[in-house]
Amino acid sequence: MSAQTLADSREAEATGSRLGRRLAAFLLLAAIVALIAVTPFLPNYYIRVVNSLLIYVLLGIGLNIVIGYAGLLDLGFVAFYAVGAYTYGLLASPQLGLHLPILVILPIAAAIGAITGILLGMPVLRLRGDYLAIVTLGFGEIIRILLNNLDDLTGGPRGIFGIDKASILGVSIARPGEIFWLLVVTVFIVGTLVWRLERSILGKAWAAIREDQDAAKGVGINTTNVKLAAFAISATIGSIAGVIFAASQRFVSPESFTLQESVLIVLMIVIGGMGNILGVFVGASILILLPEVLREFAEWRILFLGLLMVTLIIIRPAGIVPRTLGPVRLVKVLFGK
Amino acid sequence: MVGHFVQQTVNALTIGSIYALIALGYTMVYGVLKMINFAHGEMFMLGAYAAFLALSLMVGDVGSAGALALTVAFFAAVLATGFVGVGIERLAYKPLRSSTRIAPMLSSLGVSLALVAAIQILAGPQPRAFPSFFPNERFEFFGGSLTTIQIGILIASFILMGGLQILVTKTRIGIVVRAVSESRATAQLLGINVNRSISMVFFVGPLLGAAGGILYASYYGVMTPTMGAVVGLKAFTAAILGGIGSIPGAMLGAFILAAVEVAGTALLPIVSFGTLGTEYRDVLAFAILILVLLFRPAGILGEPVSEESMVYKREF
Amino acid sequence: MKLRAALMISASLLATPVLAEEMTIGLSAPLSGAQAYFGNTWHNGFKLYADALNKAGGVNGVTINYNQQDDKADPREGTLVAQLFCDDDDVVIGLVNFNSGVAQSTLPIYDDCGLPNMTFGSNPSLTQQGYEYMVRPVANDLAGALLPAQYALETLGAKTAVIVNDKQVFGQGISEIFGKNFKDGGGEVLDTLAVAPTDVDFSAVLGQIKQMNPDVIYLGAVMPQLALFARQMHDQGVKATLMVPDGGYTPEFIEQAGAENVEGATVAIQVPPMDASDAIKDFAAKYQEAYGEEPGPYSIYGYVQGQILEEVLKTTADLSREAMNEALHNVSVDTVMGHLEFDENGDLKVAPSFLYKVEDGAFVLIDQM
Repeated sequence: MSAQTLADSREAEATGSRLGRRLAAFLLLAAIVALIAVTPFLPNYYIRVVNSLLIYVLLGIGLNIVIGYAGLLDLGFVAFYAVGAYTYGLLASPQLGLHLPILVILPIAAAIGAITGILLGMPVLRLRGDYLAIVTLGFGEIIRILLNNLDDLTGGPRGIFGIDKASILGVSIARPGEIFWLLVVTVFIVGTLVWRLERSILGKAWAAIREDQDAAKGVGINTTNVKLAAFAISATIGSIAGVIFAASQRFVSPESFTLQESVLIVLMIVIGGMGNILGVFVGASILILLPEVLREFAEWRILFLGLLMVTLIIIRPAGIVPRTLGPVRLVKVLFGK
Repeated sequence: MVGHFVQQTVNALTIGSIYALIALGYTMVYGVLKMINFAHGEMFMLGAYAAFLALSLMVGDVGSAGALALTVAFFAAVLATGFVGVGIERLAYKPLRSSTRIAPMLSSLGVSLALVAAIQILAGPQPRAFPSFFPNERFEFFGGSLTTIQIGILIASFILMGGLQILVTKTRIGIVVRAVSESRATAQLLGINVNRSISMVFFVGPLLGAAGGILYASYYGVMTPTMGAVVGLKAFTAAILGGIGSIPGAMLGAFILAAVEVAGTALLPIVSFGTLGTEYRDVLAFAILILVLLFRPAGILGEPVSEESMVYKREF
Repeated sequence: MKLRAALMISASLLATPVLAEEMTIGLSAPLSGAQAYFGNTWHNGFKLYADALNKAGGVNGVTINYNQQDDKADPREGTLVAQLFCDDDDVVIGLVNFNSGVAQSTLPIYDDCGLPNMTFGSNPSLTQQGYEYMVRPVANDLAGALLPAQYALETLGAKTAVIVNDKQVFGQGISEIFGKNFKDGGGEVLDTLAVAPTDVDFSAVLGQIKQMNPDVIYLGAVMPQLALFARQMHDQGVKATLMVPDGGYTPEFIEQAGAENVEGATVAIQVPPMDASDAIKDFAAKYQEAYGEEPGPYSIYGYVQGQILEEVLKTTADLSREAMNEALHNVSVDTVMGHLEFDENGDLKVAPSFLYKVEDGAFVLIDQM
């Protein structure tokens, strides 16, 4: 706790005047509100871009638990995303002749996601740092190769097509505008839960492990269980994001679950601000919206994105939004103490 | 059958020595900075493009280049790439040296993206034919076949790896670099110019990577802007497998990975009675990597790392 | 929106100043990344024809604008581009998606918004899903793998084959069809080996093949793997005849592999030789003049698709998407590659196919149907 308050005060010094902070916080909040208020009235293309952004926000929130809260570098997160997407693809398409509703599939996918997370977590949590990173990377690749090769089950490289349109209680959730609301609700629920979790005793344990694993062990934290919880919860969220992705594309293939996707999500977290839900929004916005805005520049936009990344990391190595600027602090900054 | 075995062994050795040349770059940087340099694969790619550029500046028609031009181009390209490596370290990694451990790695990812895009813009995204730096003759050899380029790659990579090992263990530069990798703070106290040692590492690593890139492009006859990503990932895996930070480990890891890949192709369908085809080769490679790390968490030849140094985020 | 305005301005600069009517075609393909070359040269072939039409005052006074977008060969990007075209009322037809995998994710969107499109993805399954707004102006893989199998069995007298594929939609699909045709014709497929699409070293796979000693090897993959494989085949002393699909029909296949390493290899493609007729010679010369380089392997398809669009504009009732779709499905046109019509699924009624063999570093036509 004392580290937290110390960091708070340091952060306060660093971020400049109260007015400046208030302005920044206001802009951030206004951006999120505007996004939700304006998007439904935009042409479908823009809604699709925002949907894609929200799916990445969801993925970012999930991976952030492992990277930002517990301090473990996971480069295979896309595997859980794939698990969710293929769960929906298999249970709601002609592939297996099953046509379950999305409300039934969501908990199934969440459970499969959690189990996969624990299965990966159990053997590898002894590893630290770079070794954990490469093992998770290998795990992600193994899942992708399996999806690409188990032709009879997954359709192989052809993927699964003709996936059912989703509907919840008779309300169709298939058009971009409808998927948008599903995503807004999901991001809100998942975001709130994760944010509560961060402030719970489990969240404190994650922070302890992140800051000093041996000390955490010393004060009686069961580091293995706490890390497993991080993996399982993160995998669950990844899997849920996968279900929504599959329901919105109505087509899944292994191409969507490459190593580059994992790296992209890691980058969002790091650029936006590790361990911070608002940071995920900012990071995802930069990495998803910018390439769309720069669409006509083809190769140049990738060059620009690369250079921007280097610059951003050098200017703000801890991310654009500091760890301490959570939703509560946002409100405090906005409305004074 | 003997011929088949010989053939596949030669194949594994050739692939392995290319992986090794690149794995060394990863491992050296890691040894000194405890940082995975994701842009290292791009040094490999830059080496090939730089050699191609040098050749076309010298002789116009790249295919007709003589031995002299090829030699000059080779050395010009590896030196140039070495300097590019030093420049990148100065611009993109040095400002982050006292930052979190993850920051320079992600900065290197940005560098990697930018370099690939820059080459795609400058040289075009399509693969290009690459001239042969060695005359290519094929020999029949115990029933297998062996080409002069394969022999050339084996010899060149063993010379480079041996040279590096001598440089690191026997020379003053090597001692200084090792001191820095042991403890940057202590080295500084002893009056060692830490920045210069780090620059040295970022010169030699890319230089070896570039040499690997030229050998590779010359062997396969093609260069592409994305060639660094694929081989880079393999080499990185090899470095981890062998124990990142260890030079003999990187070489061992590279040859083991190559052997697993070749054996996976040759044996998987047989040992699984046809249920698993060659497409599961990479699954086998990663599975072995994971198994090795579970039993030797620091890789085969890696020294056990202090847990403290492996913690990722320290930002307060 | 600014972006579109910019595109319109740049396009209208090319067109004649007095515009009676305008229509926009949405072009999408990988314009960045590993497949950028194919996407760009394919679109260039189309633009070559469309620009010439515009210069001549358009088709019945209608000039053609294009809105060209990069789908990065990525299904997710593809859906965004598809939606961009759907939302833009000026876009009344699309020439879209080089990759079958991307087409699979965009076709439902085009069908939803009723935007007629010519798709390039050649996987046979695409036209079997009941999409009403798509046609495929290129031969599907069923045609692409028939001729090579016949040739191997009848002309080469081959009895055994080994199939290698890259486990991608195209490579796996076309090599499965080859295998089926080869077996139906009485041949034996000794083994099917898969490689990764990022592989550059095939020595281990070739080591296995050498043991089996097949008469032919069918390689379902794309460039540069085709060239790498051919070169290493020679290095490893594998003597079988190499057969590859359309991606190999490019000078780079010979250049990158080394002419002596691909001697005797066969390539099947839907394109006649560039000197097959005066019209095709003319196309190649115009392309060279406009872009300062040889046409890409798929450029002539783009050109033919320009000719299809011209015919559609001549026969359509008006410039609505509905009318354009009607005209597109009923098109009957003589192109530089021969007469062209679509069947009820949107596939070509007659899919031409040509088989080439590499002889002395050049492609020589050896068979066609």
